[in-house]
Amino acid sequence: MKQILRITIGLVISCLAAGTIMGSAYVFTAKAKKHNEHQKEQDTMLSLLGYGKGKQAPSSLKLQSLYRYVIDEKGVKYSGYMVPVKKGNDPGYALLVITLDGKFHASHELKINADQAMEAAERQKALAAVLKGTFVYSDETVVASMDGKRVAYLLPGHFQGFKTFIKVMLAVDPGYNILGLEIMEHEEDPGLGGDIVQDFFKNQFKNKSYQKLKTLDVVKDPLPEEYRKAMEIKKGVMSQEEVQRIRAKYQDNDIYALTGATISSKAVTDGVKGMVKRFAYRIEVLDRVAQSQKLAAAF
Amino acid sequence: MAHTKKSNSQLFFNGLLSENPIFRLALSMCPAVGISTSVMNGILLGVAVLFVQVFSSCTISAIKNYIHPRIRIPTYTLTIATWVTVIDLVLAAYVPAAYKEMGIFVKLIVAFAIITMRLEMFAAKNPLAPSFWDAVGMGLGFLFGMVTLGAIREILGSGTLLGFDLVGDKPLLFFVLPAAGFFTVGFMMAIYNYMDLVFKRMKEKKG
Repeated sequence: MKQILRITIGLVISCLAAGTIMGSAYVFTAKAKKHNEHQKEQDTMLSLLGYGKGKQAPSSLKLQSLYRYVIDEKGVKYSGYMVPVKKGNDPGYALLVITLDGKFHASHELKINADQAMEAAERQKALAAVLKGTFVYSDETVVASMDGKRVAYLLPGHFQGFKTFIKVMLAVDPGYNILGLEIMEHEEDPGLGGDIVQDFFKNQFKNKSYQKLKTLDVVKDPLPEEYRKAMEIKKGVMSQEEVQRIRAKYQDNDIYALTGATISSKAVTDGVKGMVKRFAYRIEVLDRVAQSQKLAAAF
Repeated sequence: MAHTKKSNSQLFFNGLLSENPIFRLALSMCPAVGISTSVMNGILLGVAVLFVQVFSSCTISAIKNYIHPRIRIPTYTLTIATWVTVIDLVLAAYVPAAYKEMGIFVKLIVAFAIITMRLEMFAAKNPLAPSFWDAVGMGLGFLFGMVTLGAIREILGSGTLLGFDLVGDKPLLFFVLPAAGFFTVGFMMAIYNYMDLVFKRMKEKKG
């Protein structure tokens, strides 16, 4: 009996001590960590838009998030869009509920400010206050606008890769032509599918038009040497004009698959294709409904 | 309690050579085989293990008299998990550049056999200073093993070293896959064993 007590007390004390250390480490670092993650995402977005080191983003460039939720009301599913709106000078958020075949269902005003909207938990709270049914978070779109005009959409998303999900960030212009692709996280085989992060693969998506994208496929031909060089700007010694010329030459081609990683190449190509197609449909529906409801979206 | 009779420098080289965690003790083979596909991976995981090993060994060595022998293994795991979490959080918060590369490796360490084994075999029986040197030696031994494996596999598999193109081609693509890790570890073990044999013979001749 005495043994059991000693063991129990010993375990409890060591767990408490470990918990205290971990907890205080978390408290001290949580803010900095979140800030870093947010910063990393922002940096990726800006670099996809062509800003970064040496080229400051103009102050008129605004990045605003649009959140999509899937709402379930009495067994009927709706898409709910959390849209940033202008309310006088204060930016606010409104929830636009749209039926699956693209018709307006309801709209609610949300009591949430821009800072709170970045927190998933705060969004949940604000939505729960106005919605009767259940709802699930689906995805986020970042709308980049300059002087009230949309310049690009940034789409964070993920799709199935060779083994598990590939997380990406995609930038498209208002006509859904691809501006750039960045791989955020992946677990493809190093040296094989892992090469999806290489410039010579992901830059193949750059400047692909929406028209081409609809039928984009993977070809198993070797990557032409001049194309590879044009895509790896950092290492190359080519002039800007030459890079542009070569890229334009291959612009309407399919994606050249990575050697020994056709499945990963195909997964990324199909994933990107699907993301853009779905997004193009959704944003058009949303725009139409928002217009018919005279909702003053802040982008 | 049998205290070690080895000097600090002997403890230090013990982990690096005669008791190298990967090539002599054959511990933590799973990460060694799975992650050592490039030198950079090896360095990052090695450094992470080095830190966790040193912190955990020192902690256990300091509190060893208060641990009930029946619950020593849970206590070790708890200690390792605590330090892994703390290092993970601190890296993510203050060194985001390093965390970007090391993040996934740090979290893996909780289940590493080599750390638990060193706590059980050494830190729990020895005072603080020898435990510290043993941990440093073991950590560096692991780091050395990972870098060696990483170099062999990176050169043969991808034709590069630390990302720089050496061969200009991929000589044996097979070497980046996990199965080739076993081959590499096997060959390195053979080399270590052979070296051991040679040293023993030399000693016999002298004696």
